[in-house]
Amino acid sequence: MVAMAESAISIRNLTKDFPVGISGKKLRAVEGLNLDVGDNEIFGLLGPNGSGKSTTIKIVLGLLEPSVGACTIYGKSSRTVAARRSVGFLPEAPYFYRYLSGRELVCYYARLCGVGKAGLAHDVDSVIDLVGMNEAAHRRVGTYSKGMLQRIGLAQAIVHDPQLIILDEPTAGVDPLGAAAIADIIRELKSRGKTILLSSHLLAQIEGLCDRVAILHRGKLVSEGRIDELVAEKQADSFVVEGLEPGGHAAVQKAIEAEGGRLVRVEKPRLSLDAFFLNEVQKRESAHEAAVVEKEDPK
Amino acid sequence: MSFLSPSRIRLIAANTFLEAVRQKFFNSLLFITLALVASSTFFQQFDFGTSELKFIADFGFGALFFFGSILAITVTTQLFFNEIENRTALTMLAKPVHKFDFLAGKLLGVQLLMLAFVCLLSFVLAGILYWRETVLMSQFGPETFSEGRILRYGDILIFGFLQWLKFGLLGAITLFVASFSNTNIYTIIVSFCILVVCQLQYIARDAYGDMEQGVGRLLVQGLGLIFPNFQLFNVGDQLLFTSQEALPAATILRITLYACVYIAGFLLLAHLSFRRREI
Repeated sequence: MVAMAESAISIRNLTKDFPVGISGKKLRAVEGLNLDVGDNEIFGLLGPNGSGKSTTIKIVLGLLEPSVGACTIYGKSSRTVAARRSVGFLPEAPYFYRYLSGRELVCYYARLCGVGKAGLAHDVDSVIDLVGMNEAAHRRVGTYSKGMLQRIGLAQAIVHDPQLIILDEPTAGVDPLGAAAIADIIRELKSRGKTILLSSHLLAQIEGLCDRVAILHRGKLVSEGRIDELVAEKQADSFVVEGLEPGGHAAVQKAIEAEGGRLVRVEKPRLSLDAFFLNEVQKRESAHEAAVVEKEDPK
Repeated sequence: MSFLSPSRIRLIAANTFLEAVRQKFFNSLLFITLALVASSTFFQQFDFGTSELKFIADFGFGALFFFGSILAITVTTQLFFNEIENRTALTMLAKPVHKFDFLAGKLLGVQLLMLAFVCLLSFVLAGILYWRETVLMSQFGPETFSEGRILRYGDILIFGFLQWLKFGLLGAITLFVASFSNTNIYTIIVSFCILVVCQLQYIARDAYGDMEQGVGRLLVQGLGLIFPNFQLFNVGDQLLFTSQEALPAATILRITLYACVYIAGFLLLAHLSFRRREI
């Protein structure tokens, strides 16, 4: 049994270097990453291309070994096969065996995950039902559209009832309706007590879906926290006023009423997640470029 | 224990076999091989007499070895790189599947395919030989066939079994090369080079037998151990005809053991190399 207080994923001081060529040079993909994903939360991993998201996910899945640091899944080292028993994974732009039907594919992965023959049919049918693929389950995977591939991919990821589900760009290339359907499935999984680690470029969807996010840039953690906290402008309050300039609450309210207006609500002004993300990344990109220029030309 | 899980290896093998039999390459090669073996009967117009049977058998054994070797190397390479390039390996290895189980499943799947290939070809060869021997028996009468049939048909299966083991060994070598290679063409070329070395390594064995003690002898001995001796499996000349003594069961057992040890060795080497590979 998994202790609920335990982190679903715990990453400590994680660094990953890749050798480049035979010169002994190394490319640092992830540097000193510390991250905790709590149980039963939807956690978004954001970052531009080459920021280290995929490397981090691969290390969490035990597909890569870290150069330094450690990663655990519910207390077990991610390097062990045992840790992957509680993990389901949907890769980016998934490709499956084209000659199998959707149902056969889910059966195959279920059996690989150790689902017994006794409960196999029930488990497979229930996940196919959850992802809304009942009508197409008998068709060969080779005939599926991109959205259907993502759905059947989601089914194979959750068929063995894992506690942690890792989704790499689950809505990439899927139309808005399909993306909304996948988002609904993710919410349903959370309501069933699952933990979801989500990597996506569709920030608007992340904003509406995730409890917390982390932003990576050039392998380093830039920001982490609840979306509300990250995107709120802490230094200012905003007044949504109909027809009047902002001011003190009471005075404004009085003034508004005196002037015949109405104070509708007082709230924290927010940046959109897109704006926050771009701001954070661009700020660091400019700093990085300036550092490179200074290094090349110290004058 | 997650390491070496027979049920997962069986599942991966069955899926690999299914994928392999659907490939056009396998079907084309199978068709060509069967056509070639069947075409050996057209040489009867040269009137070899009973030597015709030896000719057909050699032709069939040669086709089995030649096309079987091509199939073992290319199919192992293709099925391995299909998983890597299509990233289905990523999905599979993200599940509680050990990398050794993945490699062993791939090899077993290829071996199932090779078993189908060897069985089909052996039965076709046996059928052709039986038909020709029956025709020759009626043609030459009791003076040539005084003691009944001159072919031991069970020996075709023994030859097929030993070739199947050799293909397994070749598949394991190919899998080892693929485990550190980045392209399938590199894997195929290197594996064919190793096949030639293994096929001719008896020359090195003969050479170190004549060498005096020293570094050279140790080197040749070492290379002779690293590369398996494929000549051990070429027992076609000692089989088939009742006039020759049957291959002793102990010899068959020794060759089987030899193949199994090398297959396990190359599979472990493939695992060591594949363990650190980025998927």
